[in-house]
Amino acid sequence: MPRRTPVLLWTIVRKEIVANLLSYKFFIAILLTTLLLFTSFFVLYKDYKGRLADYELVRAKPGEPIAVLPPNPLSIFAKGLDEAMTRSFEISRIGIDVFAGQKSGNIIFAFFPTPDFVYIVKVVLSLVALLFGFDQVSREKESGVLRLMMSNSVSRTKILAGKWLGNFLSLSVPFLLVTILGFVLINLDPLVRFSTSSAARFFLLVLTAIIYIALFLSLGIFVSALTRRAASSLVILLLIWAVTVFVVPNLGTLLARQMVDVPSVKALSEKQDQVWTREVLQMEIERRAKNDRGTGDIVKKHFNVINLELNQMEEDYRNRFDRLVRLSKNINRLSPAASFVYATTELTGTGIGEESHLKENVLRYKDSVLSNLERGEKQAPSFTYRYRSVGQVLSQGGLFDLAWLIFFNILFFAMGYVAFVRYDVR
Amino acid sequence: MANQKPLLKAEDLSKRYEDGVLALDHINLGVRGGEVYCLLGANGAGKTTTINLFLNFIPPTTGTCYIKGIDVTKDPLEAKKYVSFVSENVMLYGNFTARQNLEFFAKLGGKTNLTKEQYYQVMRRVSLQEKAFEQRVKTFSKGMRQKLGISIAIIKDAPAVLLDEPTAGLDPKAAEEFLEILTELKGEGKAILMSTHDIFRAKEIGDRVGIMKEGRLVMERTREELQYEDLVKIYIDYMKSEPLTA
Repeated sequence: MPRRTPVLLWTIVRKEIVANLLSYKFFIAILLTTLLLFTSFFVLYKDYKGRLADYELVRAKPGEPIAVLPPNPLSIFAKGLDEAMTRSFEISRIGIDVFAGQKSGNIIFAFFPTPDFVYIVKVVLSLVALLFGFDQVSREKESGVLRLMMSNSVSRTKILAGKWLGNFLSLSVPFLLVTILGFVLINLDPLVRFSTSSAARFFLLVLTAIIYIALFLSLGIFVSALTRRAASSLVILLLIWAVTVFVVPNLGTLLARQMVDVPSVKALSEKQDQVWTREVLQMEIERRAKNDRGTGDIVKKHFNVINLELNQMEEDYRNRFDRLVRLSKNINRLSPAASFVYATTELTGTGIGEESHLKENVLRYKDSVLSNLERGEKQAPSFTYRYRSVGQVLSQGGLFDLAWLIFFNILFFAMGYVAFVRYDVR
Repeated sequence: MANQKPLLKAEDLSKRYEDGVLALDHINLGVRGGEVYCLLGANGAGKTTTINLFLNFIPPTTGTCYIKGIDVTKDPLEAKKYVSFVSENVMLYGNFTARQNLEFFAKLGGKTNLTKEQYYQVMRRVSLQEKAFEQRVKTFSKGMRQKLGISIAIIKDAPAVLLDEPTAGLDPKAAEEFLEILTELKGEGKAILMSTHDIFRAKEIGDRVGIMKEGRLVMERTREELQYEDLVKIYIDYMKSEPLTA
């Protein structure tokens, strides 16, 4: 009997794969996925090259107090916050001026933003996975094939595992082939060449995508095993999909905003202007009173006050903002789509954590530029930035999101198993 | 045959559903090898429930089903090795050809090393047209699908066969061909339990005929007994009689 187990399982897996290969559903799903992925790769690869050319123009010359990063090649797959991270940060005595970074020259992109790999997986592939899973049990029950299958000496566990595995392979193998082919083709360009570390990050990105897709397949099979009709299963799943992919991540952010009060950037800027006006006026009054015409102690004192207050305001803003981001992230994690986005953008170095890391580095850079100025040095030090290592990314939340996705996978599969074991096949 | 143990046996079998409906009420029956047992009865009489219990699709409320002496509830996977099943409306996988469907179900039934020719032979045996062997099943008529369904049962070569109204909706010629195949299977020593509405064919093929009403087996006759009795009259009399008290 144990020898029969793999044979039986493989028989069901093979049947599922062949059934998919012969169906229009499979053909259309794979065509759509291929088309979308290649379009995305091509457009974002071109966009990356444009941004790289822009970077060559705006990059800091030796001695300039400017922090600007080149675009991240992995942003071709996960745009994330790369555009914000590649802005130019100019350091001066009065603070940091942020200028638009490397932007694509074609304004038409603003109207038709190109979905990146992460978006395609999050929205389209999740839907495709549901379409593979929604009728696995209910359709076969409707047609009576399930009764015929189960009139044989084959356990429900094997049937479910075979269905899951067969559909998972049908879905993931073409997806992997298209994705890897895209990566290899882009890598042929000497300007883009991915480093070993980038390739490893890309591997983790694809692995996370596979885990995410598997999760939706399990969800599809679970709902299919709860319903008697495939049509009902499809309607329920579309609702769950819309809530998971669109509603929860947006509502979570709104909800967090209600709980944490963060002033707008404009309000912060106005408050900072008020400090400036107050201190400059005060300085003028004091200088006139003391008949001080030089740039001595009074100016220094007021500039110190300004710096101190502005730094406090910024720090307070950053703290509140960080709290808002943390809360939003945690609420949004109710949806696996949010965890998927967090995990993949962090792994590729375009996530919130990486942006925060960059900002810390820019602030440190500002301090070193100002100390140079204090010392009377005219040349500013150059800005260097090292992306967080994969280990750091994983330890700072990435691993949690990955584990969370795996947890959803196990949960949906287990619920599907329980539902199928209890399923009335008549 | 009289001394032979039944390959299919229901002992004190009852089924009450969650909504309180008593679908089967203390049924006892047995089918030996080389015997065809026809279960007659109106819709809702309990025929399909009996077959569902034999296949362990639902658990019995009381009693036990045995296939080749194996308690179906206790060891369903072992018991199902010895039974084939043909349903009222064999749907199968529409995008698969007849041979692909047959191959898949043969493998599920434990026949893993059959050749294409062996699949063809079984399909020839049930008089499926040669050109249909590699045709997609979604283009098949009901008669063709039923033939393919019985070929799935044949290829498994199990000692017991359960048929749930297999001739329903078939034209007379297709139904006749179907019964010829059943006669062959009976000749091979299979124990066949068939639920049907078709009194005439039940009398023609059945070695024993049982009439079910409201979940009870109200009458059982052997082929010999039916030579002297009018099955149609008996059946109609039972159907017209007062409802049974629970």
